[in-house]
Amino acid sequence: MNRRLVNFISLLICLFLNIVFTQKMVHQFKFENYDVAIMYCVLNLILFPIALFVFKRDEKQSEVNRREQ
Amino acid sequence: MSEKNNRIPFDENNYTHNIHRNNERKLDRRGFMKTLVGAAGVFAVSSLPWGAVAAKELMGLSEKEYPHKKIADLNKIGIGEAVDFKFPGEHDDALLIRLSEEKFVAYNSACTHLQCPVFWVKEEGEMICPCHHGKFDVESGSPVAGPPRRPLPTIEVKVENGAVYAVRVKRYES
Repeated sequence: MNRRLVNFISLLICLFLNIVFTQKMVHQFKFENYDVAIMYCVLNLILFPIALFVFKRDEKQSEVNRREQ
Repeated sequence: MSEKNNRIPFDENNYTHNIHRNNERKLDRRGFMKTLVGAAGVFAVSSLPWGAVAAKELMGLSEKEYPHKKIADLNKIGIGEAVDFKFPGEHDDALLIRLSEEKFVAYNSACTHLQCPVFWVKEEGEMICPCHHGKFDVESGSPVAGPPRRPLPTIEVKVENGAVYAVRVKRYES
């Protein structure tokens, strides 16, 4: 599959997971399962550097592609 | 082109006359990906307070002692009757119910569904939330019917010198 597409889709998945984790976090907080809420919060925090990494990698790859052309 | 660039076409203050390329303002792939990353960042930042408050709750920082507050004199409350009071703050409605000669229960009377005031129905022996007909068990404060899913926070009470005092708000187990 196209590398550009892979990067793009993995970013979309990151954002989707963000939404899911946020929803879960709020629910678990309301249910007073605070440890589970913290776990989802950490997962949410981890997703941001992953998204940033994917974005940077995409930038680098397109740079390489441009030079090869 | 250079002649065009050197010329000031007209007096203006919104600086949009220099957009010429087709679809220049449209979102391209890179711009959209940047938005996605930004959104992930917003999610991360906005989940911080939840985590912080959850950690605070876990460490038990919010379990504090309030000054004891007199609710009512013993002889003013008949068995099976209820008294409204405010505890711990001025705006936290609470409900004291005398179940027997010795037994008192008190709960924060804001329904755990949408914060409507729960009241005591003596004839049915239940605490009822009028908004959506949620019902709570009087012994434990746990929900028995209707939309609420979490129990009412219990307030510990103490009988002293012929009067009932509110001592503290008990954390309820999930």
